Amino acid sequence: MPQLNSVYRHREFQDLLTLSGYERAGGWNGLKATLEMSPDDALYAFQRSGLRGRGGAGFPMGRKASFLPKDSGRPTYVVCNADESEPGTFKDREILDKNPFQLIEGVAIASYGVGCERAYIYVRGEYGHQAEVLRRAITECREAGRLGPDAFGPGAPFDIALYRGAGAYICGEETALLESLEGKRGQPRLKPPFPAVAGLYGCPTLINNVETLAALPPIMHRGADWYAAIGPEKSPGTKIFSVSGHVLKPGNYEIVMGETTLRELIFDLAGGLRDGREFKACWPGGSSVPVLTAEHLDTPLDYESLAGAGTFLGSGGCIVMDDSGCIVRASWRLAHFYRHESCGKCTPCREGTGWLEKILGRIVHGDGRLEDLAMLESLFGRISGRTLCALADGAVAPVQSALELFRDDFVQVIEQGGSPVPEPMGVINV
Amino acid sequence: MSEPDEAPVIITINGQAVEARKGAMLVDAAKAVGVEIPVFCYEPRLGKPIGACRMCLVEVEGMRGLQTACSTPVARDMVVNTTSDQVKDAQNGVLELLLANHPLDCPVCDKGGECPLQDRTFQFGPGETRILEPKNHFPKPLDLSPLVALDRERCIACFRCVRFSEDVAEDGQLTFHERGDSTEIATFSGEPYEGRFTGNTIDLCPVGALTSNPYRFVSRPWDIKNAPSICAGCSVGCNLEITERDGEIKRVTGRPDPNMAVEEGWICDRGRWAFPALTAGDRLVMPEIVDQVGRRHVRIERAVGDAGAILRRSGIRVAFLLGTPVTVEDGFLALELSHLLDDAPVARLGVSDDGLGPLRALPGAQMHDMDGADVIVMVGGDPSSQQPVTELRLRKARRNGARVAMVGPRPTALDGNTAEALRTVPGRLGDAMDVVAERLLGSSRAIVLWDECDLAAEPVAADALARLVASTPGARAIELAADVSGPGLRALGIPATGVLEQIEAGEVDVLITVKADPTTGPGGTRWAAALNQVPTVIALSTHRSPIVDLAAIAIPVLYGLEEAGTLVSMAGRAQRLRPGAIGPEGAAAAWEVLVGLSHRMGQPLPDRTAAQAFDRMAKRFPAFSGLTCTDLGLLGAPIAAGTGGPAAPARRAEGEGLALVVSTPVFGDATAHRSDALDCVREETHLGLCPAEADRLGVSGSTHVRVTTPFASVLLPLVEDHRLHEAGAYLVLGDPASMAATLLPADRGPVCAVISAPVAQEVGA
Repeated sequence: MPQLNSVYRHREFQDLLTLSGYERAGGWNGLKATLEMSPDDALYAFQRSGLRGRGGAGFPMGRKASFLPKDSGRPTYVVCNADESEPGTFKDREILDKNPFQLIEGVAIASYGVGCERAYIYVRGEYGHQAEVLRRAITECREAGRLGPDAFGPGAPFDIALYRGAGAYICGEETALLESLEGKRGQPRLKPPFPAVAGLYGCPTLINNVETLAALPPIMHRGADWYAAIGPEKSPGTKIFSVSGHVLKPGNYEIVMGETTLRELIFDLAGGLRDGREFKACWPGGSSVPVLTAEHLDTPLDYESLAGAGTFLGSGGCIVMDDSGCIVRASWRLAHFYRHESCGKCTPCREGTGWLEKILGRIVHGDGRLEDLAMLESLFGRISGRTLCALADGAVAPVQSALELFRDDFVQVIEQGGSPVPEPMGVINV
Repeated sequence: MSEPDEAPVIITINGQAVEARKGAMLVDAAKAVGVEIPVFCYEPRLGKPIGACRMCLVEVEGMRGLQTACSTPVARDMVVNTTSDQVKDAQNGVLELLLANHPLDCPVCDKGGECPLQDRTFQFGPGETRILEPKNHFPKPLDLSPLVALDRERCIACFRCVRFSEDVAEDGQLTFHERGDSTEIATFSGEPYEGRFTGNTIDLCPVGALTSNPYRFVSRPWDIKNAPSICAGCSVGCNLEITERDGEIKRVTGRPDPNMAVEEGWICDRGRWAFPALTAGDRLVMPEIVDQVGRRHVRIERAVGDAGAILRRSGIRVAFLLGTPVTVEDGFLALELSHLLDDAPVARLGVSDDGLGPLRALPGAQMHDMDGADVIVMVGGDPSSQQPVTELRLRKARRNGARVAMVGPRPTALDGNTAEALRTVPGRLGDAMDVVAERLLGSSRAIVLWDECDLAAEPVAADALARLVASTPGARAIELAADVSGPGLRALGIPATGVLEQIEAGEVDVLITVKADPTTGPGGTRWAAALNQVPTVIALSTHRSPIVDLAAIAIPVLYGLEEAGTLVSMAGRAQRLRPGAIGPEGAAAAWEVLVGLSHRMGQPLPDRTAAQAFDRMAKRFPAFSGLTCTDLGLLGAPIAAGTGGPAAPARRAEGEGLALVVSTPVFGDATAHRSDALDCVREETHLGLCPAEADRLGVSGSTHVRVTTPFASVLLPLVEDHRLHEAGAYLVLGDPASMAATLLPADRGPVCAVISAPVAQEVGA
């Protein structure tokens, strides 16, 4: 159950909210090492490290960076996705809160690699305090010349602009984020072209999650090979899991990929369940992934193993439910979230998420019919995989998997005239 | 957008090998071979596809999942299936979901019966609903503007209206509020959606979410007849469709199959909602004659008979005066009749040709040629207000990469975002020719739009501009013609001068006017005095006007949307009007009245239809050589370019004071004033001054000013606008009742005006 605080450097060192403190903790070594390389070598290092995107999709970061055309004749942008909105996910918040300089350094490293002189950090609207911490850190970097006209050496400018979202989950989707960043309504774009070719303002753009970028400084300091050697070959490195729900010690845990099981994460690191409670279900990668049952508890936590268990590593937001919860009510609650957050651009998602919520609500409140289950099943395929972005897939996955794995619970709720678990006070407002 | 011009490739659609253009979207490639892939959001005129509605999902071999046919470009050897079970499930699914919150109030929806959502549901949708859940409800309808009603329940969020506002009209007014299934169309500020082109959103809406307020609950599709015709509101010649019920025009829309060479399906709100003017209270509906009994109504046969009897008298000297909108056929038959009357003079009310010959001899372009232009320079004019749809073409050209410049004395809606504004001193367009030359330098596909009125007033500038364009390789010109009839009548050789002088010389016994009332227009005072010397006026008119009141015989005639005939656009395109309504019972088409007169004179002209008249005319006039009415078809055809004419010497502005800069916005013209529907967007007649100049003249803050030229003195509302040049007085014409146009000389030449504060009584009244 090896833990390694590579991204969460603040858990090893003190005083990381000041530039000097960060420097004492080995800060800027990664950027220094990067600036000694050519941008192409830096890009090559990103690729060799095997680092995969930590936002949810797990796409290899270095490959993504290599897609940016070098001769477009237009500026290149790096955008850091700090719109952490996935339910059950709060890993980036801690980086922003406690270790902002490492993110700034990571953004700078990526920017150097792709030739970007101006990067953006798009911070979730609700993260007011975090944005303030980051703003102070950026200001301090500017004052110290770490950002500004000579950031990458004399006459080699680089700077970061901070942009705050306005409270839309969809803006975590990279093209919706770009629209929002451009001052437009946040909704996904038709792809292709992908952001690497035509992203922010139509220019080549690299978008990465906070955790991904914050992983770069140690990689560049200690070497891509060091990182690639941590954990399994296809999922190297460390990953932060946010554990929430029915556990005694909810919180963020940075673990070595593949060397910890789901059981160890929940029962050892997160302190296990309350006395007398049985494990019921867990969404291991945020709410948008298929649910797991007790039989999956020994799955190692890495991209491939979780995919083998029929789910995704996703954002690493591990939501745990014990036997006091009702999976049908939970499914309804999740459906409500996705209906509320659907941007409304694509028909299947705009109308489908609403319909899902209405059907599940009817079941939870005692008006379900057994034939509703077949209707739900026929709807999943008409919503999932038929839209521009993955929000609809994320809306369907938890409900579809719950119905597959806990069909008896659904039948029971229908037959007994509603969910046995009362409505939590003030949680849902439909 | 680049046009793929490579050789076609072979793809397979539903098992059949077909040819398709590489790079074309699958939905278009399929359509070209007769396979319909249903769409809602796809509309290439709005720009790149957005792939939002998901209606067009198809299977493409080798691609994971279903693809949107609207955004998947054709590639060699592609294998596409549009009818597989998976595709059918997707179509069923999307339609089922589109209807999940749709109110299905088709029986009371104006769109019912001509609704793409209905049609697609019948053709591609599930037969029955599975939805038990309550639908989302909105209070309805909402007035998006006084002209456009919004029913949010019916909206399927296809983005078409929003994209039109954002990407075509570029007014940035429409947007979506809220998200998910609460998404609703709105304006940013909650203000009404107002503009020159808002009605196009109604045509674009694939459901009954956006409907026309004036057409609300007026008719069902099975009670109407539609006719493809041409707008007679300005010289652009937009193609439109007229909806008729019970003989009356109830609606005007863009053509469902647009004329891509002209308006691309976009029409302005003036063109869309001016038709109520046809049934306005002052419409002339019965012929009138003056005899011993006095003025009285008669049947049209009697009126034409009486007029014929007058013309039969020997030795009388006749003259014809043509106004607007007069068709080519009207003009031709006036000429034919004049030949039976000792070659009586025929003139048109309009801008004189003097000095414009060199410009008219330039190679011409059609409106759609602007799409591929590298440089567009407008010299004079204000197309946004005088030839509105030109604005959309210019915006599109700019989006396509053209550099657009507006050289002239007026501020325009295109300044800044679309066009580089190069403001000139009023009356000194000639000074800006260096600037025009600079803009044209290095271009290879330039288009110059020149304003007929402004350049007629400055013949030296006209000549210089013509030389510039002629010496620029690849450059072509489009005339921003001042009126809708001018280009056609000019092609028949009908001049804009002569008749007034002949009347004043006492050489005219009978004046026949066709849709012309010169007393309220330029030189109105002089015309009024001259007309008093004409013993007999025979007026063919659509509406009551001073000339009808002094005519011995007044015959009501049909107006553009009601008649058959041909108009020639400012880009020299002959296009056919088709009657969309039967018009007043006592009225006939002007050409028909003229033919009737020939019969009563005992020398019958052979034409029984406008088409026959056109074909006979085309054989005589080289501009129309080789064309037949049938050739014009639905989309018209360019006529031969004019041979031009000599340059003319400089003209001196008449009068003292500030140079008058004159515009006639179509949103403020006589027809617009007769249509209640346009109340909310009408431009009122006024005089504009820059605040500094108003201050200097001592009229700053006044509501009205007195404007005096050598030709008239008129009291007009004052509008102070800092964008105006201080060396000009900006006269915005329109309402004939204001008599403001009489401030101009009869030949619409350059004139200066003295601006003074009104005496107290004038304003108080």
